[in-house]
Amino acid sequence: MFSIRKKKIQNPREISLSIYKKRWLKFKTMKRGYYSFIILIILYALSFALPLFINNRALLVKFEGRYYFPAIAGYYPGDKFNQDVPGEANYRLLREQWQDTGSDNWLVMPPYPFGPFEDITVKGNAMYEPPSRQHWLGTDDTGRDVFARLCYAFNISISFALILAILNYIIGISIGGAMGYFGGKFDLIFQRFIEIWSSLPMLFVIIIIASIIRPNFFILILIYTLVNWIGMTYLMRAEFYREKAKDYVAAALSMGQSNLKVIFKHILPNSLVPVITYFPFAIVGYISALVGLDYLGFGLPPPTPSWGQMLDIGLQNMSKWWMVFSPVGAQFITLLLVVFIGEGVREAFDPKVYSRLR
Amino acid sequence: MTTYFLRRMLLMIPTFIGSTLIVFTILQLAPGGPLEQTIQRIQMGAAAQGETAGSTSDVMSGGGSVLPESALKELKRFYGFDKPIWQRYLIWLGVYPREVKHRDFTLEPGETEVETRAGKKDGQVWRVTVMRNGDTYTVIDDGTFSEVWKAKAENIDADGTVHGVIYQTETSGIMTGNLGESYTYQAPVTEVMKPRFKISLFFGLTGMFLSYIVCIPLGIRKALLHGSPFDFVSSVIIFVAYSIPGWAMGGVFLVLFGGGSFWNIFPLGGFHSPTEIWEALSLWGKILDQLHHAILPIFAWSIGSFAGLTVLMKNGLLENLSQDYIRTAFAKGLSEKRVVWVHAIRNSVIPIASGIGGVIGVVIAGSYFIEKVFNIDGFGKLGYQAILDRDYPITLAFLVIVVVIRLVGNIISDIALATVDPRIRFR
Repeated sequence: MFSIRKKKIQNPREISLSIYKKRWLKFKTMKRGYYSFIILIILYALSFALPLFINNRALLVKFEGRYYFPAIAGYYPGDKFNQDVPGEANYRLLREQWQDTGSDNWLVMPPYPFGPFEDITVKGNAMYEPPSRQHWLGTDDTGRDVFARLCYAFNISISFALILAILNYIIGISIGGAMGYFGGKFDLIFQRFIEIWSSLPMLFVIIIIASIIRPNFFILILIYTLVNWIGMTYLMRAEFYREKAKDYVAAALSMGQSNLKVIFKHILPNSLVPVITYFPFAIVGYISALVGLDYLGFGLPPPTPSWGQMLDIGLQNMSKWWMVFSPVGAQFITLLLVVFIGEGVREAFDPKVYSRLR
Repeated sequence: MTTYFLRRMLLMIPTFIGSTLIVFTILQLAPGGPLEQTIQRIQMGAAAQGETAGSTSDVMSGGGSVLPESALKELKRFYGFDKPIWQRYLIWLGVYPREVKHRDFTLEPGETEVETRAGKKDGQVWRVTVMRNGDTYTVIDDGTFSEVWKAKAENIDADGTVHGVIYQTETSGIMTGNLGESYTYQAPVTEVMKPRFKISLFFGLTGMFLSYIVCIPLGIRKALLHGSPFDFVSSVIIFVAYSIPGWAMGGVFLVLFGGGSFWNIFPLGGFHSPTEIWEALSLWGKILDQLHHAILPIFAWSIGSFAGLTVLMKNGLLENLSQDYIRTAFAKGLSEKRVVWVHAIRNSVIPIASGIGGVIGVVIAGSYFIEKVFNIDGFGKLGYQAILDRDYPITLAFLVIVVVIRLVGNIISDIALATVDPRIRFR
């Protein structure tokens, strides 16, 4: 313990980083934000293993002495297991059949044995089933399980927002940073360009582009980045512009440091605070945007589980309340967690102490 | 100051041109435009006719669904698709002459003049003569060179037969207030937009008014009672409002109060009751009906800006209350009321004043989402529907209006800022 402490002090770089450590420790004391952060991280990590928890494919099948892993291996036709169904094996039915006949074959289903894509064409599924012990949040207009779709959509929404945010940050930091640091013609040209770009109604432009090319996940991210990099760029430009005028930059430059080194080693770490505090709120914006686009029908292509699309179907079937409440609720809980994180991060990075003077 | 705003106004022009040019180009280069859609419609019509006529394979095999060359040309002319994109843009802007009233003519090899029908004038057939002079063509009307008619060759066959066209020109576009004619509504864009614009304006103005009269006092109260139970409870509400977009909340309201599964209090959507019922209502009934339909959408509309505006007001006031000048004011012995309401508040509304320009944009342009959820035929929904229908005149007109509003809104923001905060000097 002591040796670690000593080492910390010996290495000057560690000291300069300690501000971030301090902030992290501060963030940890924000219970609401910190626990939201933990919950969200765990949920997101788990959501990558969703096929093991929420799936219509069995985890493990023992059939005539051989083992199968449909949840991982994927598609098996029904006749593989001597089941008389069109297309894929219906494992829920299979289990019942085997239990009824007392056969040696057995299978293990995931804890929640419904998939996000299986619809009314699968035997045993029905449309508009209200929430029950079987279907926790009911089924939708094509007999798909709402809860399963909700969970898969969670993973997609968060991934979408994260990738988008990272892309936006890379572009924003590099272009905005260069604008603020170098200034001059480069700054002027980009400023004009940004002014034009920001006068456009972004959602409208995205819809126009998305109506021309039917986007998939990555094209949608690309389109969204294309119209959305402005905000971050402008933020970074202002930061770099302000930092560049400070004495430590002049000192570094007068010592003969290269531009690159000044940008990345000196200015960038100093201009990250607004960027980091903005991050959770950017995520909130991107998740809402994806929901909105999906709702309008210009988001991810239809069978993809998405909250916006579920909401669209729900609002077309207004009397089936679970089809509206579920996606809104899922979105609400997710965004609330992110907002709590954002509040905590902001408090840790940019604390504002308000004192009433009187 | 005046020069600053003058310069800002002038800078609007290149910005406007730049942003419209971008969207114009995207729209024009996009496949599935009006030309292709019309061709498809005609072809499908032809194919359907071929089927109903019962004639078997010869219609289809002979490429019966291929449009004749002349019809295609006609369509291209109609939509202006026979011109390069920059010309189309300039025509649309209204600074380049637009060709209208095309009439075909044919010059046999060796001929230098031909008489052709130009339409009707004073109830009589109007005939003009096209004269060829090398590669240039002139139109003679009544023995003199025509002022209105122009002629050009469109293509020349191998044997020298000239297929040409006479046309008139007019300069009309965005600049002259001509926003074009909608493909889907078959009416001038301005006429299509007017009633919808009013609807969006109604929701926007009421929504804005409501959110301001709720958020500003709430923000002030929260700042004054910072840390109290009231502050905590209202913060929870703000978190909730921030985490659900207003339109999604609107959907939840509809399910709860629209009579589906729960309470039947409010109608499911629309701006007012269907026309048959609406017409029969008395004035008072109309007002009530309108309000009845408007409550949920306006509520959803206001929630959108509720969280942001309240927090802005609260933080602004809190920050000002911890400034030195407030200490001075207290030290002078002023009452708390006076310090807060006269000194601190004036400085705290500055950020809200600067946001006014942005709000104007939303007020006027409406919201696609809320209008879609509540099935209101507003301005935002019109623009959204126009994209779906590939109705380019409406799409572009919508864009023009939104861009102009935004640019003007920015300037209004600056003016508001300069008015509220005398320390700000624009140069």
